[in-house]
Amino acid sequence: MIIRNLCFGFGLLALSAGVALAGVEVGQPAPDFSLPDTNGQSHRLSEYKGKYVVLEWYNPDCPFVRKHYGSGNMQALQKEFTAKGVVWLSIDSSAPGQEGNYPAAKLNEMASSQGVARTALLLDPDGKVGHEYGAKTTPDMYIISPEGKLLYEGAIDNKPSTVLSDIKSATNYVKVALDSTLAGKSVGQTVTRPYGCSVKYAQ
Amino acid sequence: MILQFGMTKGRRSVSAAVFGFAMALMSAGAVAPSQAQVVDGHQLVKAQLIADTQHIQPGQKFRLGVLYAMYPNWHIYWKYAGDAGIPTQIDWQLPPGFRAGPLQWPLPEREKEPGGLEVFDYNNEVLLFTEVQAPEQLPAGPIDLGAKTNWLVCEKECVPGDAQLSLKLNDGGQGPGNESLFAKYAASVPKTGPPGYTLSLKPSGNQMVVEFSGVPEGSKLDFFPEPPENVVLNHGKQAGNSVVLSVDGGTALTQIKGVAVVQANGKTDAFEVELRPTAAVTQGGNVSADLAGVLQAIGFALIGGLILNVMPCVLPVISLKIFGFVSEAGERPDKALRLALAFSAGILSCFALLAAIVSFFRAIGAQVGWGFQFQDYRFVLVIACLVFAFALNLFGVFELTVSARATGGLAKLAAGHGYGGAFFQGAFATILATPCTAPFLGTASAFAFTQPAWATFLIFFSIGIGMALPYLLLAIQPKWLRYLPKPGDWMVRLKQLLGFLLLATLLWLSWIVGRLRGVDGMVELGGLLLIIGILAWIKGSFWTPVSSTRSRALAALSMVGALAIALGSYYFVTAPSELPWQTFSQQSLDNALQSGRPIFVDFTADWCLTCKANERFALDNAAVRQAFVQHRVVMLRADWTHGDPEITQILKEHGRAGVPMYLFYPGGKDRPPMILPELISSQTVLDALKTSSEAVANL
Repeated sequence: MIIRNLCFGFGLLALSAGVALAGVEVGQPAPDFSLPDTNGQSHRLSEYKGKYVVLEWYNPDCPFVRKHYGSGNMQALQKEFTAKGVVWLSIDSSAPGQEGNYPAAKLNEMASSQGVARTALLLDPDGKVGHEYGAKTTPDMYIISPEGKLLYEGAIDNKPSTVLSDIKSATNYVKVALDSTLAGKSVGQTVTRPYGCSVKYAQ
Repeated sequence: MILQFGMTKGRRSVSAAVFGFAMALMSAGAVAPSQAQVVDGHQLVKAQLIADTQHIQPGQKFRLGVLYAMYPNWHIYWKYAGDAGIPTQIDWQLPPGFRAGPLQWPLPEREKEPGGLEVFDYNNEVLLFTEVQAPEQLPAGPIDLGAKTNWLVCEKECVPGDAQLSLKLNDGGQGPGNESLFAKYAASVPKTGPPGYTLSLKPSGNQMVVEFSGVPEGSKLDFFPEPPENVVLNHGKQAGNSVVLSVDGGTALTQIKGVAVVQANGKTDAFEVELRPTAAVTQGGNVSADLAGVLQAIGFALIGGLILNVMPCVLPVISLKIFGFVSEAGERPDKALRLALAFSAGILSCFALLAAIVSFFRAIGAQVGWGFQFQDYRFVLVIACLVFAFALNLFGVFELTVSARATGGLAKLAAGHGYGGAFFQGAFATILATPCTAPFLGTASAFAFTQPAWATFLIFFSIGIGMALPYLLLAIQPKWLRYLPKPGDWMVRLKQLLGFLLLATLLWLSWIVGRLRGVDGMVELGGLLLIIGILAWIKGSFWTPVSSTRSRALAALSMVGALAIALGSYYFVTAPSELPWQTFSQQSLDNALQSGRPIFVDFTADWCLTCKANERFALDNAAVRQAFVQHRVVMLRADWTHGDPEITQILKEHGRAGVPMYLFYPGGKDRPPMILPELISSQTVLDALKTSSEAVANL
C-alpha cells in the first residue's frame, strides 16, 4: 500500500514537472523574450517594464482573428488602450509553410489596410515564445502588469464563434481586465478558456 | 398552483421561438444559403438531415440526426473541442408538439495538432443525433423537420460553415429510414450505465487524478473531459491505472463530467460519467470490505442510532411512542412489552429496507447518499401528508376506530394501537430520522455507502438497533416501566401539544418541497394538505362508529366529490398549453407584421384567472389549434405578470387598463388589429380567424 502510494506520488511529481514546462501562470513573472517586428526592429519584453503590456496571438487567415479585425473590434481596442499608454504586441507564431506565415512586407500591407493601432507585430516563426507562454489559439490574449507579472490569460471575449454580430453582445474580457486594472481595481476574471484556430506551430 | 403556468410557458417558449423562426424563414422563402466551404475545389463538409424512419407514428419516438461527411483530413469538433476549435452546434426546428431529447455525441478522437496541442474531433464522417418524441396527434400529410447547424472544420487551416437543413417525412414512404447508420453511430455513443469497473476522482493542488480500478491489465485508459466554462484543462495523461488532468492557473475541480475510455483486447469501452471525490462510480459487489473499518463503523452506528432518538426530526414521533407505552402499560403491562418489540422490529426492518435499496441503486450504478429518498419530492409529499393526518388525529379532528375487521389502511396503522400500529410507527420514525444526522452517525453512514452490500446491511442494522435500544431495554426490564408517569387527563393535552410539534415537522417538510419544486411545489403541497384536512373533517364528523348508515353513505359521497373537485381544479390550473406561443415584444410583433402572416397576441398574466380560463377553454382545444395552424397564425404571448412597461403601454394604446386583451392582426401590413372581447369563446376566435383566410391565400 505504502509503496503504491509512493509510486503514485512520484508519478504526480513527474507529471507536474512536465506540465510546468509549458505555459505561464497568473500572478507569476511573465517570461522575458526578444522578437523582431515586421520592420526588423527588435522588442524585448523587459524594455516595457513600468507599462501594461498586451500580447495578442495573431494569424491573419484564421476566421476567428478575421472576425475581430474584419469588424474593427481589435483595432478599436488597440487604439483605446495604446492611447492610454498600454503596449500592444501582436505575435504571429505561424511556422513557415503554415497558414498565417507571411513575409513581413505583406503583413505590413495588411496592417495598413486594416488600420491597426498596435505597438508592433512580432514574428515568432519557430513558435518559441508561443510555446513559452502556452499560446493555444488565435486569438489568445495575455495581459502583463508594469511589474512584469501576468494579470490575465485567455479568450478575447465570451462568445466563441466566428459570427460578426456576436461581438456586440459579447463581454470583452481584455477590455474589462484593462479597464479595471487601470482604474486601480482587481482584474476580476484572470483565466478564461481561449477560443479560435490552433496556433499554426511547426509540425 | 397558478404559477405553474409561468414555469411551463418559460420552458416551452424556447422551442416555440425556434419553430417560429423556422416558419418565418420558410414563409419568407429565404432559406439562408450555407456558407460556401469550397477550398481548392473540394466541398469540405456535406451536411444532411436524416431520420431512422420514413414514417413518424403518433406518440412514438424516432431518431433524427445530422450526418456530416468531411473531406479527407478535415475534422469537425466534439462538444468539448479541446485546446482549439469550436463545438459543432445543431438547433432542431420541429413542428409544435415534437420534443427533441439531448444531442447524442459519438466518441470522438483525441487528435494531436502541431505544437503539442490536442483537440477532440471527428474525421471522415459522423452522425450527431437525438431522439424525438412525436405528439399523440399528428397533422395529416407530410411533416417538415428542420435543423440549423454550424461547425468549424479544420485541417491546417480552419473554415467555419453552417447549413439550414430540412427533411420531409410521412410523404408516402413506409419503410425504415437510415436505420443502419443510426445503429452504427449509436453504438459508439458513450454508455451511461455503470462501467464494469470502479472510477474515483482524487483532487490535489491543481491536479485531478481519475483512478480506474478493476480494468484488465495493460488497458489503455483515457478521460475525455467536459470542463465547465472558462476552466482551462491540460491534456489528460495515463499514469499507471490513472489518468491525470490538471487545471491551468487554478485549483482542481471537485467534480468533473466526462467520458471514461478503456481500450483493452481490441475493444473500446466508453462511459459518460460525473465524478466527485467521495462517491466512487462502481459496480456493486466489486469492492472489498475493510474489516476493522466495518467494526468501528458498527460501534459508531450503535451510538449514533441511540442519539437519533432525541434529534428534532424524530423526537415528536418518539414522544408519541413513549406516550403510547404509558397508556398501554396503564391498562396491560404485558402488552406494552410486546408493543416495544413490535416498534423495534418496525425500526429494524425499515433500516434493512433502506440498506437493500441503497445496495440495489449502487448495483445499477446510481449514486445515493444518506437521506437520498428525500431528494424525491413525491416521497416528501407522501410523508408530509402522513404527518399532517397524524397531527389532525392528535387534535381530535377524526378518530380511527380499531375494529376486529380492520380495513388495514396505512393511516389506520399509523395511528393504531395494535402491534401492526407499533410496527408501522417504528418504520415511520426511521424514515423521518434519515434526514437528521447525529453525532457519530455521519462517520458510520458515509463509510457504509462505500462498502459491499453485506457491510452496508450490518452498519444500517446497527443504527437501527441503536435507535431501538431504549424500547428494547423496556422490553427486557419491564420493571422500568414503573418510572413512566400514570395515564390520565393530561394525556389529551399532551396529545394536542404533540400535534403542534408535528406541524412544525411539516413546516420543515414543506421547505424541502419548496427547495425541490419551487413555489409551485409548496402550493401543491398546501392544496394536498387542504384536501386531506377536509376529508379528515368529513370522516370525523359524519362517519363515526355511532353515525347511521345514511350518514356514512353521505360522508363517503362527499369525500369522493371533494376529491373529484380537487383533482379537476388541479388539472385545470396545471395543464400546459399545447399552442406554440412565442414571447411577445415590440420587436417580435414588428417581425411578424413584416412577414404578412396573421398574428394573434394574448395579453395575459399568471394571476389573471379570466385569462387562464380563456386560454384553457377557448384557445387550447383541437378546433382552435387546427385553425391556428391552417391560417399559419403567429402566436405571441405578452406576459404581464410582472407589469412589463412595454406591455402596459400597448394595453393603454388599445384603451385597456389590464389583462386579458386579445389582439388579432388579420395579416398584411396595413390591416389594423381587431380587439376581441375579454371573455372569449372558441367561436369568437374562429370567426376572427376567418377574416384572415383571404390574406393568407393571397400570399
